[in-house]
Amino acid sequence: MSVLTIQGLTKRYGKIVAVNNLGLEVEKGMTFGILGPNGSGKTTTLGIILGIIQQNEGSFSWFDGAYGRWHRHHIGALLETPNFYPYLNAVDNLRLIAHIKKVREPRIDQLLEMVNLYHRRNSKFRTFSLGMKQRLAIASAMIGDPEVLIFDEPTNGLDPQGIAEVRQTLQEIAEMGKTIIMASHILDEVEKVCSHVAIIKNGKLLASGTVGAIISDDMLVEVGSGNLPALRAAMEQYPLVRRIDEHGPHLLLYLSEEVPPEKLNRLAFEQGLALSHLRVVRKSLESEFLEITAGDQ
Amino acid sequence: MLYLLKLEWLKLNKLLSFRLFTLFYFVLLPAILLTGKRIPELPPPLMTNEVFFIFPTVWEYLGYVGNWLCFFFFGFLSIIIITTEYSYRTMRQNIITGLSRRQYFLGKVYFIVAISLVATLYYVLCALIIGSFSTSSIYWHKVWQNVDYIPRYFLMCLGYMSLGLMLGFLVKRTGVALFLYLAYIMFIELILRWGVHLQLIKHRSMHFYPMNAVEDLIPMPFTQMADQFLSQYGFDLFLSPMEASLTVIVYSLIFIGLAYFVVERADL
Repeated sequence: MSVLTIQGLTKRYGKIVAVNNLGLEVEKGMTFGILGPNGSGKTTTLGIILGIIQQNEGSFSWFDGAYGRWHRHHIGALLETPNFYPYLNAVDNLRLIAHIKKVREPRIDQLLEMVNLYHRRNSKFRTFSLGMKQRLAIASAMIGDPEVLIFDEPTNGLDPQGIAEVRQTLQEIAEMGKTIIMASHILDEVEKVCSHVAIIKNGKLLASGTVGAIISDDMLVEVGSGNLPALRAAMEQYPLVRRIDEHGPHLLLYLSEEVPPEKLNRLAFEQGLALSHLRVVRKSLESEFLEITAGDQ
Repeated sequence: MLYLLKLEWLKLNKLLSFRLFTLFYFVLLPAILLTGKRIPELPPPLMTNEVFFIFPTVWEYLGYVGNWLCFFFFGFLSIIIITTEYSYRTMRQNIITGLSRRQYFLGKVYFIVAISLVATLYYVLCALIIGSFSTSSIYWHKVWQNVDYIPRYFLMCLGYMSLGLMLGFLVKRTGVALFLYLAYIMFIELILRWGVHLQLIKHRSMHFYPMNAVEDLIPMPFTQMADQFLSQYGFDLFLSPMEASLTVIVYSLIFIGLAYFVVERADL
């Protein structure tokens, strides 16, 4: 079942195009990451699909229209900063959310325990630290056991411990089989939590697919020698080398299969070249991301 | 409707300014009138302080006190309940959580209607209690002689609150909205009416400004000045109750409609 379909979405602020003809499809059970640098239109996109920003063009539909106008009752969302009534305590704030969502038995204590805030349930929201606010927001998104959860930069501004806690909570939620849509500029986070990813920049969709497909299986090896052109010529003959880039004083080899590094060393030596540098580079979403976004200045 | 009213109640019943303003109103409405007990002698037309407390004039004097209190406390309240939700960004969150914009807006409108009703009921209660303690022999036709003050009082409160509501939604910032509210009622409208309108056209249409109509619903009970005005300009100082009521209804609908127009279209 399709959870969210976005078609041709465009949002302009004066001359600036925040979202440019964006199309996406999120299926049930996906953990969908929207990845992009700051100001790439992630939050604007989420704002539009949550009904707080009006798009100029395009359309979106939730749950194939199954819930009509009330789709937001089946979505738990947290956009940018956690927004609660500062003069109300944690329990009152969650009760209010439950009232809006028409949830009869919100199991507030259980949720507060899940995000480790039960001991502060009667403290006013304004006394919370940023990490606690963020955790309360996650609890509030879980009220009524929604089918879809939307998180926007869920670890923004948290300390390392807070980041680890929030990520763990997200993974637990994903394991429950919920559909999660998460916007982030932190690649590591998307890579650890998400099954699918869409990369956007300047409001345009640059790539989308499973995390595995976006991160290609290429093995990357950095090699260097006194005679770089000769090394390049030697390596080009090796059938598994798909592509060679200059990488500072070294060459970056893209190998379509895992190859033991000593094999490359021997290959060079057989051509009369001694390697001054040999390093296996882990291919991550980060380099892929930089590569994809760099081409579109 | 109850769903939306209950939501507003959950939001506001622990808000300090809501509690304070309501408390002030409940205490001050009878208290200010009762300070009249301390001035036993009054200048010629009134002579004694009795008129403040007896039927049917208690409706006028208590209403006039209420006019000031509603202008301050409930006008401010109607601004605060809108603008704080902008500054805490909770309006945005309410909609993300599941309210439609229309529901959110209706919740606020229902709430100011509910507050106006409560304020009016309290006014009726106070008038009946003070009146029955102060009037030596009670005739029912005297008690109910000014019964039209009750719907007028309600409209008066709603009129102030709908201006506040519109300013809240349009301006979004508490301080600026409060300033505009006070400034408009206390001098901008006066300048428009007396300084501009009466200079250009000496005509009683100068009365049909929104907040003047609201004030004329429960006018100042001394009417001597009004007579002098009539002889000088050839028309009455105050709108008739019916004219004032209709004017307030029309303006309130415009204010609320304008605010709704903004809410439906704005990016939050």
